[in-house]
Amino acid sequence: MLIIKNIHASVDGKEILKGIDLSVNPGELHAIMGRNGSGKSTLANIITGRDNFIVTKGSITYNGINLLDMATEDRALAGIFMSFQYPVAIPGVNNAYFLRAALNAKLKHHGKSEVNAADFMRLMREKVKSVNLDESYLSRAVNDGFSGGEKKRNEILQMLTLEPELSILDETDSGLDIDALKTIAEGINNFRNKNRSFLTITHYQRLLQYMHPDYIHVLIDGKIVKSGDIELANQLEKKGYSWLES
Amino acid sequence: MKQFQKQFDDLLAYWPDENQELRELRSTAFDQFKNLGIPTKQLEDWQFTDFSSLKKIDYRLSRAKDLPQLPDDITEQIPNTYLLFMINGHYQPDLSDIPESISVTTNLENFKANKELYLDHKSSNPFSALNASMMNSGASVTIDSNVILEKPIQIIYAMMDISDPLMNHPRFVFQIGHNSQATIVEHYIGSTDLPYFINPVSNVTIKNNSVLNHFRIEAEDPLASHIAASNYLLGADAQLNSVSISSGSKLFRHNINLNFNDKGGNASLNGLSTIREDQHHDQNIIIDHSHNNCQSQQLFKYILSEKSSGVFNGKVVVQEGTKQTEADQTNKNLLLSPEAIMNTNPQLEIYSEDVKCSHGSTTGQIDAEALFYLQSRGISKTKAIELIINGFAKEIIEQINNEDVKTYINNRVTNWLESVLIDV
Repeated sequence: MLIIKNIHASVDGKEILKGIDLSVNPGELHAIMGRNGSGKSTLANIITGRDNFIVTKGSITYNGINLLDMATEDRALAGIFMSFQYPVAIPGVNNAYFLRAALNAKLKHHGKSEVNAADFMRLMREKVKSVNLDESYLSRAVNDGFSGGEKKRNEILQMLTLEPELSILDETDSGLDIDALKTIAEGINNFRNKNRSFLTITHYQRLLQYMHPDYIHVLIDGKIVKSGDIELANQLEKKGYSWLES
Repeated sequence: MKQFQKQFDDLLAYWPDENQELRELRSTAFDQFKNLGIPTKQLEDWQFTDFSSLKKIDYRLSRAKDLPQLPDDITEQIPNTYLLFMINGHYQPDLSDIPESISVTTNLENFKANKELYLDHKSSNPFSALNASMMNSGASVTIDSNVILEKPIQIIYAMMDISDPLMNHPRFVFQIGHNSQATIVEHYIGSTDLPYFINPVSNVTIKNNSVLNHFRIEAEDPLASHIAASNYLLGADAQLNSVSISSGSKLFRHNINLNFNDKGGNASLNGLSTIREDQHHDQNIIIDHSHNNCQSQQLFKYILSEKSSGVFNGKVVVQEGTKQTEADQTNKNLLLSPEAIMNTNPQLEIYSEDVKCSHGSTTGQIDAEALFYLQSRGISKTKAIELIINGFAKEIIEQINNEDVKTYINNRVTNWLESVLIDV
């Protein structure tokens, strides 16, 4: 599904990723672990196509298509979603209106008819419950005045609504208390199936305990230095990252 | 200046039998205008705006012969409003709809009874003095005490199909009695191939315990110059909710002066300017707090596209000895083009200790983070920009507390945005 080959990427002229290879198949959950500054978020940003992240070498294909040639919105329409580490507040833009616009863009892309406002609100009233958000959230501006936890729930809510094939969860566990963490993990687990894949980026194994990843990859200084299963995450929890550094 | 002198002489000759006191006021006002002259960039309050174009065109005062063929229906009328319709400076009672409970009179009649409302002849604002010297249209609208007006009064001042570059100096006097509530929409529109100059002055008095919603829509033709002054005087516990939406005219200047005449007044002044091409919009606001327990809020936003330029000058003065003042002043600007220019100067002048004041200003482009966020959800770049700009404008539109007016203005802003985004 997602094939990353020898990716090198830089930000502001500084090389951050120094040759990453990674394949994600349908239904798999991969976790990328690493310290701050190891390049985890850069990897997420080049998959979603953020402007200031420049790929200098290598390729990324998604279902056989060259992803790097595609605009951000086209990558989203192709089925890629990112839960942001720091979701931005957009004053004046109504949450429900925004999310319906996003859903309709997707429906239209797949040649389906758009959802009207009434049906959409019916759908959303159910979805907000599953991430433990109040219904009033729908009429508020996107992430505006949201607490850290609300922002992360909002990200997951968008994922559940847009039903992407590949979800990139960038530090979704950061800033969450244990209850919120469980709610979010449960939301993600219920959403998992044999066609949906996940790339989870984190520096703790907290969230992973609830999510049962298939693969763990350790990113140090822009390279994957070790891959393994959940046992690797447990080792990292005990021993830290230094034993993997050359 | 010569062409203004000629127009002034013509006006006196045209109305030889006018009230003597009014003629004297006109003459004093014109002397004041001549003394002050069209402002140059050397004057601090006018420095960011070039008014020289007003001298380059021979504007002539509108006459009876300038009445065009009247439209069959008035497309710009907002649903569920009373209407005062004026075209090329001429009031059209047959196209208007005003109930008997609202007193509408000419300025001449009102001048005889309320001379204190026509004292702009000594104004330090040359355009207000010019208006006092040549006021040739407009109306006086009076809401009695203890009247709750359910429907807004919409005043449409239209300039259409003119045969020469015309100028008009409308004077509006709005008097709201005690314990009353009213909504007035002052709406300027234009449709012509020639430049014209509109120089309105609106003097607004809100008596004790009354509420006025004053919405102003400036949608002049792109070749027009619109120089306006709105002067407010608030009584005890009076409330003003003002929203000014400006998108028309090549040159726009609006002076807003607000004075509290007693304690407990509350004024909310809001503005949204949406401009493009070579439009220049300049707003100058002075709020003078000289009585206790008064509050004022200012929120002015500009959306600037292409080579347009904007000026915001806001000043709050809190006079010595004034207690329990709350004043907030915010200016936010969105630049849609690297060639657009914004000059902003929010100021506080505080001579009292018992105050709670804040001010701030931001000018920036569309937030790249927000844009990326929306695009990452599959929303096209154009649609994402539209969402962000609409969100920016919404904060002002939400201040309009009448649904029909709000819908009308919201549609205008959305249409403007769509026309601009075609070119992005």
